[in-house]
Amino acid sequence: MKLSMPEMLPATLLAALGGYNLLPAIIFLPTRRRCDQAASEAAFARRDPNVERHEARREFMQGFVAEHPEVRGHRHSDTIIRGGVASHHAGHIPARKLVRDKLMSAGLLDAIFATATVAAGVDFPARTVVLMGADARTGSGWRMLTASELQQMTGRAGRRGRDNVGFIVAAPGLHQDPQRIAELLKAPPDPLVSQFRATYTTLLNLLDAFGNFAQVREIAERSFAHREAAHHITRLEELRFENENKIKTKLQNANCDLSFSVALAFERLVSARARLQEGLPQTRAEVLHRWLSEVVQPGRIVGIGRSGKRLVMVTQRSQGNVSGIREDGRRASFALERIGPVYAPVYRLREQFIEEAFAEVHAKGRELVIPEPRLRDVRTEESDALNLIDQIIESIAPAHLDATKKTACIEALWAAIGEAEAIQRTSRQIESMREEVWQPFERRARVLAALGYVDFDRERVSERGRWLADLHIDRPLLVGEALENGLLASLDTISASATVAALTADEDRDYGELELDDRIVSALARFEDIGFKVATEEWKQGVEPAPEMNFSAAAAAARWAGGADWSTLVNETRAE
Amino acid sequence: MTNVRRSHGKGAGKARRRENKPSRRKAGQQPLRSTPKVSLADPPRVIAQSRDVQRLLAGIGAPPPTVFKPDAFQLEALAALEFEDVLVTAPTGSGKTWIAREEIRRLLAAGRRAWYTSPLKALTNSKYQEFIEEFGAERVGILTGDRKENTDALLIVGTTEIYRNQLFDSLRGGGEVPGRLVVLDEAHYLADEDRGHVWEEAIILTPPRIRLLLLSATIGNASEFAAWIEDVRGVRCGVVTRPGARPVPLRAAFLLPDKRLMPLFNDAGRLNPEIARMAETTSAKPPRSPRRNW
Repeated sequence: MKLSMPEMLPATLLAALGGYNLLPAIIFLPTRRRCDQAASEAAFARRDPNVERHEARREFMQGFVAEHPEVRGHRHSDTIIRGGVASHHAGHIPARKLVRDKLMSAGLLDAIFATATVAAGVDFPARTVVLMGADARTGSGWRMLTASELQQMTGRAGRRGRDNVGFIVAAPGLHQDPQRIAELLKAPPDPLVSQFRATYTTLLNLLDAFGNFAQVREIAERSFAHREAAHHITRLEELRFENENKIKTKLQNANCDLSFSVALAFERLVSARARLQEGLPQTRAEVLHRWLSEVVQPGRIVGIGRSGKRLVMVTQRSQGNVSGIREDGRRASFALERIGPVYAPVYRLREQFIEEAFAEVHAKGRELVIPEPRLRDVRTEESDALNLIDQIIESIAPAHLDATKKTACIEALWAAIGEAEAIQRTSRQIESMREEVWQPFERRARVLAALGYVDFDRERVSERGRWLADLHIDRPLLVGEALENGLLASLDTISASATVAALTADEDRDYGELELDDRIVSALARFEDIGFKVATEEWKQGVEPAPEMNFSAAAAAARWAGGADWSTLVNETRAE
Repeated sequence: MTNVRRSHGKGAGKARRRENKPSRRKAGQQPLRSTPKVSLADPPRVIAQSRDVQRLLAGIGAPPPTVFKPDAFQLEALAALEFEDVLVTAPTGSGKTWIAREEIRRLLAAGRRAWYTSPLKALTNSKYQEFIEEFGAERVGILTGDRKENTDALLIVGTTEIYRNQLFDSLRGGGEVPGRLVVLDEAHYLADEDRGHVWEEAIILTPPRIRLLLLSATIGNASEFAAWIEDVRGVRCGVVTRPGARPVPLRAAFLLPDKRLMPLFNDAGRLNPEIARMAETTSAKPPRSPRRNW
């Protein structure tokens, strides 16, 4: 249940918290930009009345700048000294974080504005944690906070040894939801859920280390995600073992010294026989359809209708539909069932040969026609197969046994058929569960093989592959291929920053519409070509291709590298 | 665990409330007071408070200084580390790092090596600073994507990715990952959609001779997690959980645009009915204003 209220100005919020003695506070805001802005706004609007603390901060900052010259003259020093507030997010240099942590633990700051995404990285506690809503910002939009995330945040409320009580305050916001926050506070902690997945870097490194897929597979099967499946597999293996024993007992009791694998073979023969019988065509139409599906293929000439006078050269066939070219050169498409005679020769599908093809069919006529099958023939043929299976089944019992023992053996095999069937089924299940873990790796291995990083058949990483494994980066294929083609070497600073931004920024994050100059566009275009090549290979192998390049981020980065002022850039783009 | 944690939210509150209960008036039946005004330029002063708020804020402030004494769970974890891997789950700020620091201190004193991994560069940097102050700059090194300093030191602080990459390198080159102990701070990052697989790989590939100390936020399936670690590493993995909830109790409040403060929960531990009423009346006419786009 939302309780939508206009947000308080940062300084007003601090005044209210101060009135209740709830400072110092960590105030969580959704974006980096808002953190920086809130800190400056608060510093501008409020004046810390405590002159001593003001002076203490100034002194501290002076000492700190002497040690860490990189923060000298930073525009945020003023925010800190004057306002006693600071911002915190992942975009800050280490020295800036250090100064903030030290001031905070010295009790010289009243508030820190931080992004929720770095809640884990906030290791300074405060008396109070403030939330403007129950949502978290993601790359592409908003989602609800999880219980664990809220716990991470409230974990910063209450300083051990310095506070008797810590507070979480839900402050006004357009998307505030006190009920949701109340629920999350009472929720049990979320369980840890595995996010294990196949990556090129892991695959290359492990394959290079072990030199075979089997061991890489063994590592993948040890993942936390696979743990459930692994347990299931163990249970299935136990089941399989039990069934094996049952079969062995049955054979023993029948005084039949066949191994249990014969029982498995027996079951397969029996079930093959059943399938064969099931698949026998029952009507003439079925027989005909089956035969047509076999013989009608591109390059063959067929007659339409029972008379078969109209001839068509087949060019394409999909399931029951056929298309082709008539003698007058016009196209025709029709259903498979309408085909009468089918002529045996397969001609080349070239315009210049078509006329000759038709001429030959006219000249030779019926002698080229493939004979249609008769229902009786088919039945005989397939019952031959059935007979053959029957014979094998008969001969499965050892020849040296006398007739009674033989019969006992065969009967025992029939009696064990349920268990044998169960064993086959269990084995298939085990195989498919193991396949599920391994398949994403195998598909990636095939992509790597297609691009020359892996020799799939020899299960080896190539020289180039070893080099790619050493890069240890996200999206290694794109970068690897680009390096291979000398693309990065040819870039100047600005194009290089633009390219890196395009590759690393979230695909769907919008940084506004700045213009890109031609040089950068052509550099990015060459990257896109490579990206296309990689993605094509990935599609082919069933691997989800990496996200596309973010041109909007490229433009923003190019501006920045070109010397644009940060605050101008922030205003022009939606960079956060 | 859950129950203890929950009871802390309301149980502790109840106990506190019982101590200073002059009247048994229920939350939400409080007459509305006129809003106290605080101008920006005003020095902070205590806003006139309703009884509810007085109870909410009771006890606010600093406890008398005490000498630091490790908690039982910290000592328990430290003792267990002598024999097995240990998964510590406790809320933030309850002293998980202390356990790691003491174990590292013991190892460094014996001239042994250790790795301390954390998920974020910022955290890694501040841990580096912290350990330098604790153990001296010559004994600590850092390894992140941006920073490589004193990489031969006995104690290396770095991101989990870099540690995992070192495991890869040692598997490929045949060399051994040196060290007696690897601390995986913020081990619950294993559930991170993008990067979680790195934690799993690190756990699976760390040689069993190296002790693992996993520091995690409170999670719902700690024993299942530990059982998995035992399975893949073949080394016993104990679970140490901080009993009770947080080291410092937490109270929840709701702030209104007119600066009125009210408890988020009523005495029964449910959402303050006054807040629920407000939400009902405002949700009848949802505001059209878009989210601030900055």
